[in-house]
Amino acid sequence: MATIVNIKEEKALVVKDFEFTYASADTPSIKKLDMPVAKNSITALIGPSGCGKTTLLRSFNRMHDLYPGNRYDGKILFKEKNILGPKIDLINLRIQIGMIFQKPTAFPMSIFDNVAYGMKLQGIKNKTELYDRVEKALRDAAIWKEVKDRLKHDANGLSGGQQQRLCIARAIAVEPEVLLFDEPTSALDPISTAGIEELIIELRERVSIVIVTHNMQQAARVSDYTGFMYLGELIELGRTEELFVTPKEKLTEEYITGKFG
Amino acid sequence: MTHTQKRVLLNNIIMTLSTISAIIGIGFLFWILGILVINGVDALSWNIFTQEGAPPGYEDGGLKHALIGQLMIVGVATFFGVPFGILAGTYLSEYGQKSKLAETIRDVSDIMMSAPSIVIGAFVYAIVVVPMGHFSGWAGSIALTIIMLPIILRTTDDMLQLVPSTLREAAFALGAPKYKVITQVVYRGAKAGIFTGILLGIARVAGETAPLLFTSFNDNFLNTDMMEPMASLTVTMYNYATSPYEDWQRLGWAAAFILSMFILTLNILGRIFIMKKREK
Ligand SMILES: Nc1ncnc2c1ncn2[C@@H]1O[C@H](COP(=O)(O)OP(=O)(O)O)[C@@H](O)[C@H]1O
Ligand SMILES: [Mg+2]
Repeated sequence: MATIVNIKEEKALVVKDFEFTYASADTPSIKKLDMPVAKNSITALIGPSGCGKTTLLRSFNRMHDLYPGNRYDGKILFKEKNILGPKIDLINLRIQIGMIFQKPTAFPMSIFDNVAYGMKLQGIKNKTELYDRVEKALRDAAIWKEVKDRLKHDANGLSGGQQQRLCIARAIAVEPEVLLFDEPTSALDPISTAGIEELIIELRERVSIVIVTHNMQQAARVSDYTGFMYLGELIELGRTEELFVTPKEKLTEEYITGKFG
Repeated sequence: MTHTQKRVLLNNIIMTLSTISAIIGIGFLFWILGILVINGVDALSWNIFTQEGAPPGYEDGGLKHALIGQLMIVGVATFFGVPFGILAGTYLSEYGQKSKLAETIRDVSDIMMSAPSIVIGAFVYAIVVVPMGHFSGWAGSIALTIIMLPIILRTTDDMLQLVPSTLREAAFALGAPKYKVITQVVYRGAKAGIFTGILLGIARVAGETAPLLFTSFNDNFLNTDMMEPMASLTVTMYNYATSPYEDWQRLGWAAAFILSMFILTLNILGRIFIMKKREK
């Protein structure tokens, strides 16, 4: 059984007895997983490649529904509702639970239109409101100064690190409650990485964050809680400083001391 | 001879043979273009654009009837072929994907692409011209639409599939419904490629003669009624060039020149768009 620390904060998400099976697989990629995600905190997911971090993360916004035949079992509670239930409005869910991908995903449109995209989807048409919120999102993503004179330029002209911050601006512009990051810095240089990490830490005040990373130092630097996954199971979830210093599980200890992975 | 010497010799022989072949191929191309330009430019005059066809021996015959007929037949074919092709390509890439139905449509459209165009002409003759009782501009447009469709459908399908799936996922992750993901994000990403497909599709049908002989046939005078037989550059060129009259033959050269320049321009534009996309 997994060792799961008691969480003092309110919970943004509660995973209960969760299993996930890909359409093409015979056995579940996530097995009987229980896990709380604390509100207004940063929860990092670590573990060797292929242990199911991405699979779990993409269950939180039901990304797996884009491809036919995938199966969820168990429950994931968000605001007391099971988001795996049949009556869930996926569009509404994804507005509240945003996602940042491994590689920047700037849309082939202007910088402004990128950030305004989610708001326009929600029917916000008022020009001044749009402009104000785009500016605020870009400021919050610490990229306003670099792009304020070229909002009408194609977003693909930005550097990788700038594009990733643009994607963060686009995600926070719609004011989600949870933000999911899947190795958001693995395609970036160290300086951009440091910038994104700083940004994630600042965002904690407004959103609950789950971040997948294969980089243990990154987990240690940014997160409040860390979950260690292995072969589709959650082995241990603890306060980050405790998990890295005094892991309760032998597997966790072996992983963080570099014995495998 | 050592092994190395043998290899070097063989290499030189193959290199020489392939270079000669390439030069011969390009030589023919420039020969054709050269003759076309010399005779075509020589035959060009203002009358070509302002006068309709005239019986042989009259000084003031032109190609106005064929130019306008060509534009109408190809224009109508484009008007129907492009949206239909793009929608069908969208179905294949975004909805059908790897399903049986989608793969069958891909196979059928590949077969259609390599079908001789005269067969499509004969088909439209049987299902449109015969029931109507006469040739018509419409029948010509229908034939060209059928020829254009698989080209646009397949390029759209290919270009949409080139758009990374992470871009679609990012749009879904912001709460976009599928039709908006396709129309607002995926289409934008594939814009240049789809446009190139359209240009190449038009270029392909603009040079067709055989299917028009069976369908829109010909008219030596200006006619803008699509219900009636209609002149086109290609069929006019065929008629004039094979006629024994020197003035008609000159008009045939002019038609060949205008048509080739039009198609060449479309192809070059198409290539420029593809290159621009690659630069990014
Ligand atoms: N689309 C898929 N179809 C089938 N199996 C998959 C798919 N994606 C991932 N998997 C499998 O699920 C397991 C977990 O993968 P993933 O969540 O990507 O791991 P991680 O993000 O921790 O590296 C792996 O065994 C992987 O092979
Ligand atoms: Mg992963």
